[in-house]
Amino acid sequence: MIRTLILLSSLTIAQCGMAHICEVRSGGSITQALATTMDCDTVRVSAGHYQEGTITIERPVVLLGEGWPVIDGDGKGEVIVVKASHVTIQGFVVRGTAISDVNDNAAIKCISVSDITISGNRVEDSFFGVYLSSVARAFVQDNRVIGNASTPEGRRANGIHLWKCAHISVERNTVMHHRDGIYLEFVTDSRIEGDTSAHNSRYGLHFMFSHRDRYTRNVFRDNGAGVAVMFTHDVIMSDNHFEVNRGASAYGLLLKEINDATITGNVFADNTVGILIDGCNRAQVKDNRFHANGWAVRLLANSLDCVFEGNRFRSNTFDMTTNGDLVKSTLKGNYWDRYRGYDLDHDGHGDIPHRPMSVFGLVTERAPYAMVLSRSLMVNLLDQTERVVPTLTPAALEDKSPLMRIANG
Amino acid sequence: MWKVCKYTLLDLARNRFAMGYTILLFAVSTGMFMIEGDNTKALITLSQVVLALTPLLALVFTIIYFYNQYEFTVLLAVQPIGRRSIVLAQFLAVSSALLAAFMLGVGLPVLAWAPGAVGATLLVSGAALTTVFCAVGAWIAVTQRDRARAVGIGLVTWVFLVLVYDSLLLWLMFAFSDRPIEPLIVPLAALNPIDLSRMLIMLRIDLAALLGYTGAVYHQFFGSTGGMVVSLLALMLWTALPCWWAVRAFARKDL
Repeated sequence: MIRTLILLSSLTIAQCGMAHICEVRSGGSITQALATTMDCDTVRVSAGHYQEGTITIERPVVLLGEGWPVIDGDGKGEVIVVKASHVTIQGFVVRGTAISDVNDNAAIKCISVSDITISGNRVEDSFFGVYLSSVARAFVQDNRVIGNASTPEGRRANGIHLWKCAHISVERNTVMHHRDGIYLEFVTDSRIEGDTSAHNSRYGLHFMFSHRDRYTRNVFRDNGAGVAVMFTHDVIMSDNHFEVNRGASAYGLLLKEINDATITGNVFADNTVGILIDGCNRAQVKDNRFHANGWAVRLLANSLDCVFEGNRFRSNTFDMTTNGDLVKSTLKGNYWDRYRGYDLDHDGHGDIPHRPMSVFGLVTERAPYAMVLSRSLMVNLLDQTERVVPTLTPAALEDKSPLMRIANG
Repeated sequence: MWKVCKYTLLDLARNRFAMGYTILLFAVSTGMFMIEGDNTKALITLSQVVLALTPLLALVFTIIYFYNQYEFTVLLAVQPIGRRSIVLAQFLAVSSALLAAFMLGVGLPVLAWAPGAVGATLLVSGAALTTVFCAVGAWIAVTQRDRARAVGIGLVTWVFLVLVYDSLLLWLMFAFSDRPIEPLIVPLAALNPIDLSRMLIMLRIDLAALLGYTGAVYHQFFGSTGGMVVSLLALMLWTALPCWWAVRAFARKDL
């Protein structure tokens, strides 16, 4: 909050004072306006088509588009490059970056600056969409970054790309048809909130080495490989939706080497794998809903001290599987729709523990193609026998106090 | 032939067992949909019942009915009617009676509660299984002289296809786990009509999980229209072959 206030005040300082406003009308040049009218702190751009190569902003300025002026890079290099701090870009349609294997061409690129606002723009058919590199304190919000659905994966880049940034707020953006929807590397103390990332060919959200970030109320839907996050500590992910991420290596959420993550109140629905937890320590997975996933949770045995509490598991093919006998994690008070126990003392928790990993889960873990036998009578008999006399499934993977019914409806 | 078929059907319409079977299926299906709020889950449970129950009852009913009709069959055989048409007529009558029972008992509730791709697949595979096991039952009944022995063979066939076959597959997967056996598994499973029907249904339900690992082979084959046609052809072959064997055996049989 304090961070936001500081950021807001710094921006207002940049904007007010003696407001000098100049205007660029259709047929005019934004580059020229920026270069000749050094006393202007606000440049208002009317509707029109502005095709003037790369526009470089080298002084603090507010660039306001009115009536969706189109800034077209015409497929040559970058479109807007920000090289000064305290810059705001708002209300533009930006398109036409060059596709390159050498340069990271972006529609809006900011390099080594601070206090930037990029809001309410439409970035269309671009290679990289919004690209921040070594930026401190920025708002990227309410933008629509939409790629071309027919572009092959090799010629796509990330929608919102942040590299080595701090204190960034990425809010209410929509990213579609890019390679990674939202990509963060070495981005710390930032907030990703209310974004929608869908139909991207690789990951909806992809971050590495991005500590102390918070992800809330985002929707990640139908991305090539879902969401993958790696090598990071102190991440909070709450109230997000991870939906319809399907494929041989697609995950609602892939956690790799993530320490001290808090994952609460999320919805995982219709994914091949809801969460894959690989080498994570002290993850708090609480009050999430897992519905109609192939594997709701795959907890690999190299994870330590993870806690699963108050989650709901419904209509998943497998609720939970692991790949070893040693499970050093805690399961308590979850709701499992497969639980068949009783509650004689009426405390709301079942009196006998629930083992969420079925024998068939164990079998497919060793022979993946045994999936062919899914739901056959033989497999059902195996699972039933195991339920009566648990011997094969890992004893440590056990919910000692499963919920009898779903809490709060 | 059509006349024989007609009279057998009229007889079957008064058959208490056939009626009981219809009511049983209807009770199971409606009960499932009423108890289970989630229609997909109800369909899953229902499909398990259908996959296990319809083959068993179709087999046993066909075998017993063929024996009960023995005198009538002998009577028909002395009439100027080809032996081929007698067996075919009886098979047609029994299978259409069981199909009607299945469609009334399972089809109506499914259409009422859960119409859609999964329901349709369930109905098609259930119907296919009914005819397949009618044909197998007819074949067993015609080749065996002793009724108890025939029912026994029927039961063994059922247990083999529903349980033993899958266990063998599983054993195969583990025994040859270090060899590239994977491409063999799906075709082998598809050889068994019960497994084939189950896979057709499960592909619609467990899609998310199936797409995971085995997905490639599995989905490519069964998901395509070509795969669907091949599967249905396989089920038809499973009906036609035993039926043909039954006809051939009956033609040579000393009544």
